[in-house]
Amino acid sequence: MIDQKDTCETRIRFKFYKKDEFKYLSHLDIIRIIVRALSRAELEIKYSRGYNPKPKINFSPPTPLGIVSLAEYADVLLDGGIEENEFKKKVNLKLKPQMQITEAKKIMIKTDSLMNDIAISLYGFKLCTPSSGKNLLEEFYADIEGDLRAKSDFSRSIFDLKIISDKENSDIILLKLSGYAKIFKEENNEFFKFNNFYSFFGDWLKKYRINIESVEKEELFVVRENALKTPMEVI
Amino acid sequence: MNKIKKLDFDLLEKLLKDIEKPGRYINNEVGARSKSPEPASDFYNLISMALVFPDIYEVGMSNLGLQILYDIVNKHRDFTVERVFSPWIDFEEKLREQNVKIFSLENRIFLDCFDLIGFTVQHELLYTNILNILDLGGININSRHRRDKFPLVCAGGPAIVNPQPLSRFMDFFVVGDGEEVIISILERVKIYKCSSKDKEWFLKEISRLDGIYIPGFYKFHYFLDGSIESIKPGRKVRKAIVEDLNKFEIVQNPIIPNIKPVHDRFAVEIMRGCGRGCRFCQAGIIYRPVRKREVESLIRQSAAGIKNTGYDEISFLSLSSSDYSEIEHLLDKITSSLKSKRLSISLPSMRLDSFNLNLAELIQSGRKTGLTFAPEAGSQRMRDIINKNIKENEIIDCIKVAFSRGWEKIKLYFMIGLPFENDEDISQIVELIEKVIMTAEDGLSRKKLPRLKINISINAFCPKPFTPFQWVAQDNTASLDSKFNYILKNVPKRYINISWTDSRKSIIECALSRGNELVGEVIEGAWKSGARFDNWTDFFKFHVWEKEFRKAGLDISFFTTRGFADDEILPWDVIDIGVSKKFLLREYDRSKRYLRDQDKI
Repeated sequence: MIDQKDTCETRIRFKFYKKDEFKYLSHLDIIRIIVRALSRAELEIKYSRGYNPKPKINFSPPTPLGIVSLAEYADVLLDGGIEENEFKKKVNLKLKPQMQITEAKKIMIKTDSLMNDIAISLYGFKLCTPSSGKNLLEEFYADIEGDLRAKSDFSRSIFDLKIISDKENSDIILLKLSGYAKIFKEENNEFFKFNNFYSFFGDWLKKYRINIESVEKEELFVVRENALKTPMEVI
Repeated sequence: MNKIKKLDFDLLEKLLKDIEKPGRYINNEVGARSKSPEPASDFYNLISMALVFPDIYEVGMSNLGLQILYDIVNKHRDFTVERVFSPWIDFEEKLREQNVKIFSLENRIFLDCFDLIGFTVQHELLYTNILNILDLGGININSRHRRDKFPLVCAGGPAIVNPQPLSRFMDFFVVGDGEEVIISILERVKIYKCSSKDKEWFLKEISRLDGIYIPGFYKFHYFLDGSIESIKPGRKVRKAIVEDLNKFEIVQNPIIPNIKPVHDRFAVEIMRGCGRGCRFCQAGIIYRPVRKREVESLIRQSAAGIKNTGYDEISFLSLSSSDYSEIEHLLDKITSSLKSKRLSISLPSMRLDSFNLNLAELIQSGRKTGLTFAPEAGSQRMRDIINKNIKENEIIDCIKVAFSRGWEKIKLYFMIGLPFENDEDISQIVELIEKVIMTAEDGLSRKKLPRLKINISINAFCPKPFTPFQWVAQDNTASLDSKFNYILKNVPKRYINISWTDSRKSIIECALSRGNELVGEVIEGAWKSGARFDNWTDFFKFHVWEKEFRKAGLDISFFTTRGFADDEILPWDVIDIGVSKKFLLREYDRSKRYLRDQDKI
């Protein structure tokens, strides 16, 4: 028989979040939960051929245990045709509210795996300052650029830092950190060790009597022609 | 009445900082059902039960019994059940340090706020975990110090068929099948809760039910040598039995753990009880009579379960799954109805003599999992003694089938320290393993042979209550160790991976399973000296147990390496397990004469 190219398969990229209790689940747990939800939604994932067939689904780089993420991505190859919205609706019905798909889009072009393609991650920190700390805050503004970006071990991985005051609550500052999702090395690239950064940053903040109230992975980016794009924008 | 107190999420978050696998302590898995306690007043109309599995989440969530009871109780309008597991060492430390009581997963209700706390006990070496959980719940471990109406504390499961070692800690025990009796108990808890009746009244009330043993109602008298002179009253507690398994559908919407459990698959019980009559096997006696599920509804319900859960593996459980008369039909229907699903099938307990080509083909349609067989002994003489009705050529034929169908990973179980064992029996274990390797070398292609893996698991025999060997003296550690070392030294190294349980662990397991009520003091002492997770080799501390036996004035060997007299009153004689002592004794006699029973009993 001539090996016919399957006429009906759908490649979909979807974005989902993990929050509340589910932030305590590991990357591997999340993969298992998603794959099973697809199966319950009666969507059939295509498998690779060979001795040990593997489902054709791949995920964006892991988010550390205990961190809320609004930007988890996955690419899946499904048997059969399905519309994006129906896909999202069907799968969300099989997932708990703590983990839901926010966006789904068919992939129409050839893409690299998410793991390789994702270059930059954006984390948002909510920082709590003591109410008497107006002066402290200014000092902090000045130091953070120099200390953290230039001098720390993380200088190479931090890409951009933005500090914004919360409009509603003057004691809270929002800090946006964009960093390389990977640390590029001669031989093996390795993931940016967020947990190391987190504890380093937490300790550093104590100097200013500032506490980390919460942290979220907000978005992931790929680089196209020297510009940052979200994974959804490039398919 | 106790106020329902809950742990709030913010505090849980603080506790979970730096904790290994925090996913163990959160809830909200698919299939987890909790009756919402909002508004809290609603909860007072419900009878609340904590179902406690005294091991970690990943182990407990692999237990089918837990899923069955969870399903049955939560389906009932008036009752709610929530899960509690043993916290891992790091989380226990955190709870104690922060002075926070242990709580259920679903609504994070503190353990002492439940009406009924039920432990499901799978293994004797988890006894200390039970005390630890009670203590972490702020509950006095000794039942006689628990004067309040609630919580009531009980235990069930295979490791309490001899309830005596735990008797001082429990208000009552549930012996036998739990499905029906759990509802009868909860109905009486409801009456008790809504009345001014006292605990004594409640215990009397439930003592009328099958399967309920109330330690407070029995008195033991001892001879000077420590054996039992009499038990008063003489009335035995008859095990609870579900006559027809089909009355309860299989659990089709089980809780699907968020973190990876030990057994990550859809589990279905196809049969309860086993008619084989292996003389060492406790499960073979205590789960009698043999009851099977009707095959057509089993097929229907299994298919529904796979669809509901999204699992890619289904496991058909029983004590001897290949003995299920319609096993081929079952497997055939399941694989064909779920063809597109890439389902793999596992039959965890296959008899070597009933495994055949058809079965091999049906199982291998999905992903290939390893095959496990239990020859138990190396020599025919020994297999006759233990009544493992299987001949060597059957073993080899069956393994031949497995290799010819492409399996390259098999696991074999053996026991050492069996009654009447001699050196020849041990060396024949090595010979059998050699023959298996030769069979593999013949049967596997040159390409596959390097991937061959034979896992050998050697366990020390531990005489258990309600078996024909319940009277047998356990082998001592020196002898067990030397037998194991002989096997280790003489077994071929290639392809073989050999594992062995610490013989000292088997000694304590035996002492706890054949112990009397005085052993309770030892368990309490060991727990106070830090013993927990004794089934985990890393945590098992033999010297602690040794010391505590001594402190209690008890001799470990009295319960282990001593042969019990035929006419001795045994601590578990208060329970009528459904098989008479006369039958067990006859079987024991036959084993002495190397007689096996040809037919299934």
